[in-house]
Amino acid sequence: MKISRTYRARTVTAVSLSAVLALTATACGDDGSGGSGSEGSGKGEITLWDNNTGERREIWAQIIKDFEKENPDIKVKYVGIPIDQVQAKYDTAIDGGGLPDVGGVGTAYLSNLVVRDVLDPVGDRVQDGALKGKLVPALVDSVKAAGGRGDEMYSVPTSTNNGTLWYRSDMFADAGLEPPATWSTFYEAAEKLTKPGSNQFGYTIRGGAGSIAPAMDAMYGQSGITSFWDGDKTTVNDPRNVAALEKYVALYKKVTPSADVNNDFIKMVAQFDNGSIGMLTHNLASYQDHVKALGPEKFKGLPYPAQENGTRVQVSNPVDGLGLFKGGKNKAAAWKLIEFAASHKSNSAWNESAGSIPANTDAATDGWVRKAVPTATAMKALSDGTTKIVNLPYYLPDWNTISKSGNEPNFQKVLLGDMTAKEFADKLAKELNEAQAEWKEQTKS
Amino acid sequence: MTAAIAEKGTSAPLAPDGPATPPVRRRRRERAFDEVPRWQIYLPLGLYLLFTLVPFYWMLLFALRPAGSTSLVPWPMTFDHFDKVWNARSFSVFFQNSALVGVCTLICTTLVALAGGYALARFNFRLKQTFMLALLCSQFIPGALMLVPLFQIFKNLQMINSLGSVVIAETVFQLPLSVILISGFIRNVPYSLEEAAWVDGCSRFQAFRIVVLPMLRPGLIAVASFAFVNSWNHFLFALMFLMEQDKQTIPVGLSTLIGADSVDFGALAAGGVISAVPVVIVFAFIQKWLITGFSAGAVKG
Repeated sequence: MKISRTYRARTVTAVSLSAVLALTATACGDDGSGGSGSEGSGKGEITLWDNNTGERREIWAQIIKDFEKENPDIKVKYVGIPIDQVQAKYDTAIDGGGLPDVGGVGTAYLSNLVVRDVLDPVGDRVQDGALKGKLVPALVDSVKAAGGRGDEMYSVPTSTNNGTLWYRSDMFADAGLEPPATWSTFYEAAEKLTKPGSNQFGYTIRGGAGSIAPAMDAMYGQSGITSFWDGDKTTVNDPRNVAALEKYVALYKKVTPSADVNNDFIKMVAQFDNGSIGMLTHNLASYQDHVKALGPEKFKGLPYPAQENGTRVQVSNPVDGLGLFKGGKNKAAAWKLIEFAASHKSNSAWNESAGSIPANTDAATDGWVRKAVPTATAMKALSDGTTKIVNLPYYLPDWNTISKSGNEPNFQKVLLGDMTAKEFADKLAKELNEAQAEWKEQTKS
Repeated sequence: MTAAIAEKGTSAPLAPDGPATPPVRRRRRERAFDEVPRWQIYLPLGLYLLFTLVPFYWMLLFALRPAGSTSLVPWPMTFDHFDKVWNARSFSVFFQNSALVGVCTLICTTLVALAGGYALARFNFRLKQTFMLALLCSQFIPGALMLVPLFQIFKNLQMINSLGSVVIAETVFQLPLSVILISGFIRNVPYSLEEAAWVDGCSRFQAFRIVVLPMLRPGLIAVASFAFVNSWNHFLFALMFLMEQDKQTIPVGLSTLIGADSVDFGALAAGGVISAVPVVIVFAFIQKWLITGFSAGAVKG
């Protein structure tokens, strides 16, 4: 059997196909704004990528509505990106094109975007505009440090979070226990609240995705070491940190469910909200989930436990912000949106909805902050001088890999007894030291 | 296959007044099988069914009970979560988009797989074996690896942010398996049937449409349902190629219900139910042909 096709027919097909491809490939759209990377007219359409769409979509819709009312010549196209895909989405758009005008950028991956030169520096715009002096200095410092380019800032901070020890106040009251304000009361309560026979556990440990940051909080919080670096070497594997880690992982199975080895925040929060778990370390953002599930009376939130002398040491939390993308065609309009979103009213509304700590200084003193007890307590702890912050090296381009896929499986091995705490800490330290040396080499040139 | 079974059946010796009496040993074996207590069949099947249905029940439970309830039955029942995801979280739009992508992928995949499968089954051409090998090898390439090249191609074609890009990408990734499967089915249809149709005055296409196509029903259903379900569930291409909210599909919508630090389980479960129902309905209707399709294609292909 043979397929017969004339040479002419083949030629006609090939020429037609080539023509169609050439025409479609060379056609280009023009929305009337400036070319790539220009300030543009300050009018027209801009695209916003929300890096953590989750429960924030409604509040963003309100902010955009208010913004468009105030700026009728600008239309904002909102695109919600699932949080666990945001880096992949940015990476694909960097390589293939299609970055937004404004994008939500967390400090955990800010340096990656800065290194790939897709973000505009925003320091001068902040100084020359309505946000001058209106951003919480500590958060400005955090985004500067995370950008890794000295005093320049590549995102406008909008919010941050704080590690919180959520505890079932009803269970504590029934057991006659004091709130777990120190590490010793924390360990004592975890043991006393555990009743395996009635499926009640004192604590739920994060063993799955996102386990490294809580583990570091437990390590530095107990050891009292206040700096992540000692010269060019990390303090992660300091013997005091290793001892603290051993104590922390010993909680697994003893006072926690055995399924915790796979706990990501979803499972962990679900267990706390639906089961009989005495304590959970997470952050402020799960406050609304606890209220919905347990009601406001059955639980309370405290900052992470302090040492016996009252000093609290905790690792830095990622700061969320908005980045202005270099390739945008209408940066003037994009900057207007960033300024509007970081302004008092919008920033306050956004953070109240998300249960986070506002980055706008005026928003940080609003009434809702005082009424939201866990948020107010966290802000007090961060500002009253009793809490020392260990700054994690978010500026390292490899930080996300090292602190997630690179070492989370090893933490599970430690929980399961297949790896010692020292081996885990040494491996983590080795990778961090190498990444730091590489980063220093790169920034030197 | 039907013909083969028929031939085999008629080859057995028949008694003048009916089928031949089975040998004694076979009768005993059949009786022994009939005498298996029913519970020995239903208990394992029931346990397996329970194991399968519990997660689905759990999803329904979270979707139908009020937020904060810890009840193990969805009572009092609420449809607030469905209302939230369907209206406030735009699942009505996502559902339409997913359905459009699914149906278009199904049609494109089936049509192209039919043409390709027919060519592979009926024609001999140079590098045919190499082509088959390439088709098989393409199954080992993960979609994520092709993301950037595909993104650039669609961008040049101005198809980013168009459901068409997702349909094309899904179709391309479904095709290798579909072509191989369909070619196996076509090979099973005796070539002499087509030749007989030609002798009766049919063109090649008419012979294919009238004689071959009706015999491919199980295979077509297998390929079409596979294409639909895979494209319905696929997340990556829709996430990467679609830039606007009102273009996104159900899997992306589901993913947006999970925040960095908080998750609305009721809404997530309601979204899961909405996402699962069409797939369950599709399988409920086609399961009979699906099993035939896969087994026939696998054995004879």
